Amino acid sequence: MSELLTFWTPVLITAGINSIVAVGLYITMSSGPLSVAHAALAGMGGYLAAVLTTNFGWPFPVAIVAGMALGFLTGLLLGLLIVRMNELVAGLTTLGFGETMAVIAFNIDYIGGANAFTGIPMRTSLPLVYVVLAAVLFAAWRYDHSRLGFAARATRDSPLTAAAMGIDIVWVKSFTFGVGGAIAALGGVLRAHYILVQGPEDMGFFVSVGFLIFVVFGGSYTFWGPLFGGMVLTVLPELLRFSSKDRFIIYGILLTLMVIIRPQGLITRVPTGGAPKWFGRRRRASTPV
Amino acid sequence: MDLFLQQVLNGLMIGSTYAVVALGFSLVFSVMRVVNMAHPEFFMAGAFGAFLTITYVTKNVLGVLVGGMAVALAVGLVVERVAIRPVRGRYVMIPFIATSGVGITLQHGAERLFGSDPVLVPPVMPSVSYSLGPLSVTRMQLVTLGIAAVLMLALRYYVRNTKWGRATRAVAERPDVAAAFGVDVDFVSRLTVGISALMAGAAGVTIGLLYTSAWAFMGLLFGLKSFVCMLVAGNRHIEGVMVIGLLLGVLEALVSGYVTSTLRDAVAFGVLVVVLVFKPKGLFGSYDV
Repeated sequence: MSELLTFWTPVLITAGINSIVAVGLYITMSSGPLSVAHAALAGMGGYLAAVLTTNFGWPFPVAIVAGMALGFLTGLLLGLLIVRMNELVAGLTTLGFGETMAVIAFNIDYIGGANAFTGIPMRTSLPLVYVVLAAVLFAAWRYDHSRLGFAARATRDSPLTAAAMGIDIVWVKSFTFGVGGAIAALGGVLRAHYILVQGPEDMGFFVSVGFLIFVVFGGSYTFWGPLFGGMVLTVLPELLRFSSKDRFIIYGILLTLMVIIRPQGLITRVPTGGAPKWFGRRRRASTPV
Repeated sequence: MDLFLQQVLNGLMIGSTYAVVALGFSLVFSVMRVVNMAHPEFFMAGAFGAFLTITYVTKNVLGVLVGGMAVALAVGLVVERVAIRPVRGRYVMIPFIATSGVGITLQHGAERLFGSDPVLVPPVMPSVSYSLGPLSVTRMQLVTLGIAAVLMLALRYYVRNTKWGRATRAVAERPDVAAAFGVDVDFVSRLTVGISALMAGAAGVTIGLLYTSAWAFMGLLFGLKSFVCMLVAGNRHIEGVMVIGLLLGVLEALVSGYVTSTLRDAVAFGVLVVVLVFKPKGLFGSYDV
């Protein structure tokens, strides 16, 4: 039993942290923009909080707030930058931003440069991660039913109509990007204080694409989607450990199959709102995300 | 001045490879609106194809080139069948994830076959270097440049001056109208993936020979850079992609020669963000998504 626990605790912590970042990405994407910068936002939050707790001895909660504030402000600015771009170009601009941040972190010696920032105190535990995840999910649930949530989805579905209805789409897009960035940064702070290392490679394109895959795989129409995607896709490679050499081969095949068979994501929301529809048969001609 | 010219020359060698990889990538994207995340793996397949050909068949440069391109073509056609044809025409993230999944499978499959360390690709020609005044250039570098130039000219001829090339451009512009005029859109799509795989394969062969190594994960950085080339140039004009590929190579070589080589990889993404903010459709224009 205890052996099982020592094996699964790190997996569950990682899955929880991934789900937190994925929910952040979900909130950003709920107003339209495709973000390939959430790993960078998480990394920036992680770096800032790690420096504050390690070099300045700040209490962990204060460092969390500081990391989230950085994520929020950076997200807000990114949102303002891409507000007029179409979805794909916006996504690629965030990609450029994320990679640039990774290279900048790589070249700052104060935060460890290429060797990563080390010596971070251990502050994250399994209960903490799941308490935070529950709080984040509660916030996402409230957000989905708030005026802002409705405004964001209207902006995603048709910016023009939304603007005509009196929604300030510049504000909605940049604010939701900021909130998503803050939640991603929260995940980043927890990760930095769990793996005790914060390196530039955690901010790059492939990590961000991983988060994007969590959201689209799980379904980006309800916050259950990113939760489910983050959990399943983090745990899956571990479950596939019985064939440790082939597990990523199987992972890739499953990913491709899933997206071909069920392109709208595993969990979808019935368009009127209401309970999530699990494994439903509803098919759309084209899949809005 | 000598250092400057030497760096420009080295930059052109690498840049020509970026351009060749980027051309295939942008061709597939403009014809099918598919961001082919398995494209870097065509490149990797070319390098391993060269390794296999040298080991088991021939050491003739032309033979090695043909062998590498054949392996890349085979991989490309399989990827087209499994991950592109079923999801073509869907929301852009769907083919993105489907091809990412295949890409992951191919990378780890190659890792399984050839090991996780780079394999040595035996040199196929004596390492002779020529001096042009103060500059020096190896024979392999000249061959690299030559192959890239031939491929680029051949592709330009194909797209501009042949019947199928005209059909390709028509599909890129408006697939529905092209189909109404009797173009076999499915066949053009398959042909396009085949051509892109051939070009990426050739680039993989030259890079494998130039650096005398092939590695399961060698495609990642090249893929990302060619992605950037396509976005900066826009995918409407293949000449634009060629020029930007060459320029990116030169710019990187100059940055690593005069500033620091760790900043080299930031150049591409910095340029990307600046260009997309001012010209969201790239410098030379893009097809509508």
